[in-house]
Amino acid sequence: MEISKRSLIIFGLGWLTSMVLVGCVAGYYYMEHQNMLKKLEEYERQPLFMRVNICINYKEWNETIVWYNKTFVPLGCNLLNATQMVAVVNFTYWKSYNASFVDAINNVWNSGNKYWMWYRWTSSHWEYGSVGADKYILSPEETVMWRYEIPSYP
Amino acid sequence: MNCKRVALLAVITALCVGIQLTPRPPNVEATSLICFLVGFMFGACFGALLGALTMFINGFLSPWGFAGIIMPYQMAGMALMGFAGGFYRKILGENPNSVNHPTKILRLEVSSLAAFLTLIYDVITNIGWALPSGIPIIIALIQGAWFTVIHVASNVVFFGSAFFILVRIISSLLGETSWKSPKEA
Repeated sequence: MEISKRSLIIFGLGWLTSMVLVGCVAGYYYMEHQNMLKKLEEYERQPLFMRVNICINYKEWNETIVWYNKTFVPLGCNLLNATQMVAVVNFTYWKSYNASFVDAINNVWNSGNKYWMWYRWTSSHWEYGSVGADKYILSPEETVMWRYEIPSYP
Repeated sequence: MNCKRVALLAVITALCVGIQLTPRPPNVEATSLICFLVGFMFGACFGALLGALTMFINGFLSPWGFAGIIMPYQMAGMALMGFAGGFYRKILGENPNSVNHPTKILRLEVSSLAAFLTLIYDVITNIGWALPSGIPIIIALIQGAWFTVIHVASNVVFFGSAFFILVRIISSLLGETSWKSPKEA
């Protein structure tokens, strides 16, 4: 198939168009990214948000440990809400305890004697969470962990 | 221009304005195709006139609201589309290929041309929006990137799939050999 000079010029224009479009779309996402960064900076300057570190330890499932460091959460956010920002959480509210009990995280369900338990990091060790996740209010820069385990209550 | 041509042109103009004014997804339009087609069939000047007139009427009656200051830019952009149709036929000249069986190259040519002309149209209209707003033109283009992509993609599809079919239909209605050089309307 013979391609004439006219065809080549027109295809060139088509190619140029696609390049311009790719450039514009890339520019669009670059601008969006910059705007997001600016917004993040603004949020961090205002005392409305904080960062926390969340660890999900699938110890008794497949021993995977996943960290969600510097997760951006509203000030005064509880552990349950913060976890919902990084994972799919199924929970049941128990009226008698006035607290929620986590049934599954990321589709790993409590079963048999294995449960999702939570801990908070003190300066030297993990401390067992003593209240329901929705009752524990996180502090800025706090580190917490969910562990799928056979509980050994203290 | 004979009566048959005048009648057909009137129908196409009405169709063009009608389709342009019909509620539709943003930036998906058949006006470019029709203006280019009319320019191709009836000459560059007539295509340009049709494009400008369509956008002029659209500027007042569009379901998206009054075009305002952007209207002259839309008219210029669509006029260019119609003019390009006539110009394209001129550069094709007495092409031996039959319009009844356009080659893949020819279809690709028309699609590429559609992409380029649509981009030019969008650049022109973005200039029309950016200048009075005091926004840099490149920023205006980037902000509307996805709208441009939709516009270009839809026109590439419309031109690639429908242009030669419509040329064939109009040619047979007019009873002319498609590839004879057009007479200016």
